This record gives sequence, structure tokens and C-alpha cells, in this order.
Amino acid sequence: MTIDKRRYSKLLAKVAEDLDIPPSKYRDAVERYQAVGRWLEAGEYPCAGTPDIYPQGSFRLGTVVRPIRHGVESDYDIDLVCQLPIPRHLTDAGSVKLMVGQRINEHDVYRQMRDKEGKRCWTLQYAEKDGIGFHLDILPAVPKKQSLSATAISITNKDGNTYRWSTSDPKGYAYWFDQKNRRAFDQVQWEQKQLIQSRAAGVYASVEDVPDQLVRTPLQRTIQIFKRHRDSKFNGSQRTKHAPISIIITTLTAQLYSGELDVFSALSAIVSKLHAFASLVDSDFVHGTSQTSNLISRTPDGKWYIGNPVNPEENFADRWHEDNHARARSFFWWVASVKKDLVDIVGSGSADMARSQLIATLGASVVANHIGLIVPAPATPSQPPRVTISRPARPWGPNARHGG
Amino acid sequence: MHDMAAEITELLAIHQGLNTHEEPNSEIVISGNLAFEAVPEDLPRIADTFEIEVRVPTAYSAILPEIRETGGKIHSEYEHVFPNGTLCLGVPIELRRIFSRQPSLLGFMNGLVIPYFYGYCYWNEHGEHPFGEQKHGGEGIIEYYTNRLNLREEVQAVAFICFLYEYGYRGHHNCPCGSGQRVRHCHGPILLDLHKHHTPHTLTHDLSCALDHLFEKFKDNELSLPDPLLKQIGRIAKGKNRRRARRRRF
Ligand SMILES: [Zn+2]
Repeated sequence: MTIDKRRYSKLLAKVAEDLDIPPSKYRDAVERYQAVGRWLEAGEYPCAGTPDIYPQGSFRLGTVVRPIRHGVESDYDIDLVCQLPIPRHLTDAGSVKLMVGQRINEHDVYRQMRDKEGKRCWTLQYAEKDGIGFHLDILPAVPKKQSLSATAISITNKDGNTYRWSTSDPKGYAYWFDQKNRRAFDQVQWEQKQLIQSRAAGVYASVEDVPDQLVRTPLQRTIQIFKRHRDSKFNGSQRTKHAPISIIITTLTAQLYSGELDVFSALSAIVSKLHAFASLVDSDFVHGTSQTSNLISRTPDGKWYIGNPVNPEENFADRWHEDNHARARSFFWWVASVKKDLVDIVGSGSADMARSQLIATLGASVVANHIGLIVPAPATPSQPPRVTISRPARPWGPNARHGG
Repeated sequence: MHDMAAEITELLAIHQGLNTHEEPNSEIVISGNLAFEAVPEDLPRIADTFEIEVRVPTAYSAILPEIRETGGKIHSEYEHVFPNGTLCLGVPIELRRIFSRQPSLLGFMNGLVIPYFYGYCYWNEHGEHPFGEQKHGGEGIIEYYTNRLNLREEVQAVAFICFLYEYGYRGHHNCPCGSGQRVRHCHGPILLDLHKHHTPHTLTHDLSCALDHLFEKFKDNELSLPDPLLKQIGRIAKGKNRRRARRRRF
């Protein structure tokens, strides 16, 4: 009894959907962060113009996964940039960080919700009535002039009692990601928006009202599955501090995605391409030959390089050589695990084996809801697909010269 | 570019009664039972099954597939079928507009074929077309442009088709409707939308249909054409200033 790829792919998509932020929750989150944004915008800062407030990271990219903390499903993380229109040479990192902190403190409610100061951001904790809350991370920043990218920013870093600048470009990265996602997005958006609208007719009056941000391509679904697999594989283990970081998973997956329209095809193709890089661990220096071979590379001094696609000077793998290449080894160990846990089970194992393996690697609560898709059930006449009709064509006809 | 294998996988995952094979001329044929439950806005839902055969041309998606109903379920008196048995889903430019919402075989099936069958079922039951129907032939083409652009006369519709054919979209030209305004301040947005969705194939088709229809009337003295339009038609017919089409049709 082998597992049907089509049904398995559907299961992966469903699991990713359960890990994702649901549309109603998304709307709440947007309302919350827009309210914070308006508050920050209305503050007094020593500069002309108003701050630019925008989401970044997985919330912006559509790759949110509900995190696991200490083994239990936890609150969603939302990252917000608060970019003050102050030239960098007129201020310093500490002042920028504290200006934003000060403004948050001026609000009676936000002051209560605020966590202690983070390394780069201020965090607001939203406890929600339904028990699924948010962590809103607010990242103070100023524009970075004289940079290759017009969207680059300088962010603050707290180390002990001193603050330093560092560079980031979340907007540029998001545009890059959108490009990688564009073609698949065009193909799936209508279908998905119809489905979302029909499920949430109270929230969205018509298909056109469903925001683009709720559409998910197989690329985004694959990243979500990867992140969840990483979370459960590394959670609580010795390896936790060497777990692959989300930006590396997201960047490589987007680079290696070639437009597959179902999750399993996308995921298995990407895993096998990543697997091909594993030999880099045992060789000090490898010359690239294929087009994608420079995505992960070794430098002549034996270090590792995974470039930020919008800022090649930023190396996401700058710490991979530490502790005898612990992070590199962890990464390729994780890739091999994904292959074994999520790809090889198709065509080899029984449905029962697949079930226990999927529960172990993606989580019982999300897998249990959809396992029926691959565990054989008695044949029943399947439901015909439900199709919403919206502004259809009018039937036309041949040139009949019968005079009406 | 499109990924045919992926599109077929996606289609068959949703419409499980369909199968696919490739003809020796590398045309892809999708056939079998198309079951659906169709839910339009403000109209009753209808569930039904039709046996179909869809031919995907090698030039897909520049040219859309052809579809036939092979189960003998469609009455011979239903007018929206071509003499060769293919279904007349709508005027070509409208089909392209709707296809562009979800440009895949699944989008073709859900956005064009299933609404057509819904319309048939509804007509069969109630004797009327739920979404309206287009007039046939060149008259229908002209009617489409007239409605879409909110025009008063057929001649204006022909002027727009000629404009699209000769220039595509030009915001600074005088609007073909004859208002005396620039295109961009007049019918610009709709003209641009038409231009975006037209292909050389659909545009040549519309022009030839519309002119055939027009000349019928012209010959019978039912219609007079303004001089500039006559000149433009003459230019197009001689093949001068043609941006797109290679083949001479007149
Ligand atoms: Zn006009």
C-alpha cells in the first residue's frame, strides 16, 4: 500500500494552512499593528515628517508558522519596522531606540503590555480572548543613505549598555521574495480567493475584497512546512542553538523553487537540490559548476557563504564555521531528516508508518485533522468540486444567417 | 511560459473524473466526466455532470483550448454551439479577460466551462439565460464592444476595433468614440484593458468579424461610414501601418 502523491500533497497543504495565521486572526493582527502604527506616527520626534511603519519578516512574506515554545503551540510573532525620518548622521542608535520606547511608554495600555527591552526591538504582548495571542516586535530604524538599495535601513543593536547600528533591508527582501513568488501567485490567486471568500462571506463581501496577503503559493506552503519541521526537530534538543535560521530556509527555498504548482512536488524538488550541497561539509572548497551552486558556498578560508539576495555583503551563514562547522552540519542533518521524514515516505512506507512519522515531525494536533487524506478509507463517491461563478462570460454563437 | 504538466496535475486533482492523453500531433486531449456543483451569486446552485473532450492546442495559452460535449446531453436547438461541435463559450476577448484571472487549465474549466454548463442547465430548466447571451457572429462582437465601452452606435464600436488593431493603446490620440477628447481622458481605461487582453489572434478575429458584418449593412445602404474611418479601413485592408497581424484577411 503506497501513498498517493496527490493526496499527500493535499495533506501537506492542509497542515501548512493549519499552521498559518487564519484569515480572521490575520485581520485582528493587522488592526492591532495599525493601531500601534498610528500611535507611533502621532508621536513627537526631533525631525520633520512622520515615521514609516510597515510589517517585515514572515508576516510580510506570508510564511508565518505558529511557533512551538517549550513543546507547546505558542503565540504568533509579528515584526514591525518603525522607521523614523532622521538622517543617520544626526542621531545615534541609542537615541533612536529610546525615542520609540519613550513613545510606547506614553500610551497607558501599551506601557502595561511592554516587555523588557530586547536586543533590537520593543515587544508588545497581546493576550487574546481566544487564547491565541501575538508578540508584536517593533524594530526602531532610520533610513540608510549611500547604500546600493533605496530601501535599506539602519537598525539598532543593544550590547550590554551600548548601542550600535547594523544594516537591514526588509522591504528590498520582500520585493525580491514577491518576484520569486509572482508566477505561482498569478496561477493560484483566483481559486484561493474564491475559497476564502466562500468560507468567510461575512468578512469579505466579494472575491475582490480578499487581500493578496491571504493567498499562499506552494512556495510559501513549503517554507511553512520546512519551518515547522525544523521547530519540532530541534525543539529542546542539544542542537537547538544551531538550528537553521528562518531567513536561510526562506532564501534558499525561494531560490530553488521552480514554479511547481503542488506542495509535494515543490518540497521534494527543493529538498533534493539542497541535499546536493551536503558534500560541501567534507570538502574545504568546492568550485561551483551549476547555476544554483553558488547559493551555498565555501570561501578559500573554509568559512561559509549564503548571501542576502538584496545585499550580497550580508552573509547569512557568517557563523556556520564556528564550533567545527556545527551550524553547517545541523543544516545538512536537517535537510537529510526532511528527506527521510517527508519525502521518502511516499512510495516506501505503509500509511500507518507515515501517520506516526508525520505526527512525530509536524505535530499531532495539525496532522490528526487531515490524516484521513492518506490513510485509506472505504471508497465513497467523492463530492463534486464546488465552483463559485462570478461575472461569467455570456455564451456567443456562430454567424447564423437565418434572420433572427 | 506555463508548466503544462503542473497545470494538468492541478486540474486532475480537482476534477477527478477527467483523464488526459497526448495526440500524435502533440496536442493534449483531456476527456471524461466533468462533475461540478456551481454556485453563482444570487442564483440557485446546480450540481450536474457533463461528458467532455477538451483539446489543448500546441500554441496554448496564446490560443485557448476547444471544448466539445460528448455525452449528447446538449439539445440540438441550443444555439451556443459551433457547427463543428465546439462550445461557444463567449466572445474571444471576454474569454481572454476571464482566463487571465486564473491562467491555467483549471482556471479555464472553472472560470469558463463550468459557468457555460451552468447557463445551459439553467436555460434547460427555465428557458432563459441566467447571465444573458451575446448576439451571434460579427453582430455579437460589435454588441460586446458597444456594451463594454458604453457606445451609442455600431460604427463607433468598429472604430475602436480598428484603433486597437492599428495602434493598440495610444493615450494621446483622439478617442475613437468621436468625443474630441484624448483617449486617456475619455475611454482610456477600458481601451487599455481591452488592449492588455487582446492577442494578435483575437484582434484579427474581431476585426474580420466586425468588418464582414459592417459591409453586409454598408452594401445594403443601411449604413454610412464617416470618411476618416473609411480611410482607416482602407489603410488596414491594404496592410499599411499594421503593427501586429501578418496574414492578410481582406
Ligand atoms: Zn471616448
